Amino acid sequence: MEFKDYYQTLGVSRDASADDIKHAYRKLARKYHPDLNKEADAEAKFKALGEAYEVLKDPEKRAAYDDVGKRWQGGADRPPPPDWNAGYEFSGADSGDGFAEHSDFFEALFGRRAGGARARAQGMPRAQDHHAKVLIDLLDAYRGAQRSIRLHVPTLDAQGRLSMAERTLDVAIPVGVREGQHLRLAGQGSPGFDGGPAGDLYLEIGFHPHPLFRVDGRDVYLDLPVAPWEAALGASVDVPLPDGSVTLSIPAGSADARKLRLKGKGIPSKTPGDLYAVLRIALPREASAAQRQAWQALAQAYQADFRPRAAMEVK
Amino acid sequence: MKGSTLSVLHCQVVEEEVELSLGELCQACGAESDLVRQLVAHGVLEPLGDSPQGWVFVGTSLQRTRQAMRLMHDLEVNLPGAALALELMEQIRQLQQQLLTTARRPRSG
Repeated sequence: MEFKDYYQTLGVSRDASADDIKHAYRKLARKYHPDLNKEADAEAKFKALGEAYEVLKDPEKRAAYDDVGKRWQGGADRPPPPDWNAGYEFSGADSGDGFAEHSDFFEALFGRRAGGARARAQGMPRAQDHHAKVLIDLLDAYRGAQRSIRLHVPTLDAQGRLSMAERTLDVAIPVGVREGQHLRLAGQGSPGFDGGPAGDLYLEIGFHPHPLFRVDGRDVYLDLPVAPWEAALGASVDVPLPDGSVTLSIPAGSADARKLRLKGKGIPSKTPGDLYAVLRIALPREASAAQRQAWQALAQAYQADFRPRAAMEVK
Repeated sequence: MKGSTLSVLHCQVVEEEVELSLGELCQACGAESDLVRQLVAHGVLEPLGDSPQGWVFVGTSLQRTRQAMRLMHDLEVNLPGAALALELMEQIRQLQQQLLTTARRPRSG
């Protein structure tokens, strides 16, 4: 168990006022909110901020946390004192949606509680709809796929404590589904009340990162390394596609970063996306004496005609 | 094994195949109908139809509503603030798209 320094996470001192804490959280939350920040680690940072704020904004939780901090002598990497988390009781004014993921440290101290399952609108006849995020492979969007999806469902036991049950669903992933879209599975949400209809389950689609392809909506991008002479003279090269391969002809005189469009080779749809091969001119790492001579000959041949820095000539 | 006997579930892509009524959208997002009405009033959602009873929301409304709710909850901003953020995010997305399609044409040497 690792001690979490929530003050450090929010960048405030231990005697920070409630206003300081709110201010620090809001500023950092704007910076790292996954809807606003597309960096890969933004989501993890944002979750850590949320957890720190959840504790420090609540006077009861903050007091308990400060107390634990005092007893946890000798720094965060030390093992915790026995019963470090025993005997704290909370009124349970839970903030979030009760599905938020917390660190082990948080759960050991504050427990996993159902808490604020969002208040349902008055007179709503149906059970709650559920949401989950799932990652699929890019190829699944090209071909469609049948995927077993494992979901962790928070369930209340007889004592009213929250535990995670596991549920597996076999889902037919439709061809052409894109990142950020939602799949609706009718009747797979909460069971209905008193024989009423069950809620639906919504799966938000994300793609596993692919070593070669980047995806933007329906379009797919591939960095395609080419030799300088291939870019200069033109060439015919084999290019992998998410669902096969193609021979692409590179026009002579192609500059670095030139995008070659393969129409309709993006994610399939009524109007399918395109695939763009982005040329990256690669240079050989080393050169033998003969190869260096060849470069020198090239330099000589171009000496008079090619001045790439003509526009920034130093007088 | 758990789950081995389950049949394959078929689903709909909400953004492409689904239209939602006010009640369905609220249900799907866990939102109060008052919040959705305000999102419409602020132009974040643009349903077809004249009255709330007749509103028809396109499938992408689900993403937008959830995003607005996340922003309001996580950043502690009010609805006009979330609406502004969503509009700016959409502008950034469009600019990035433009940049991608017009970026760096090959120079003549």
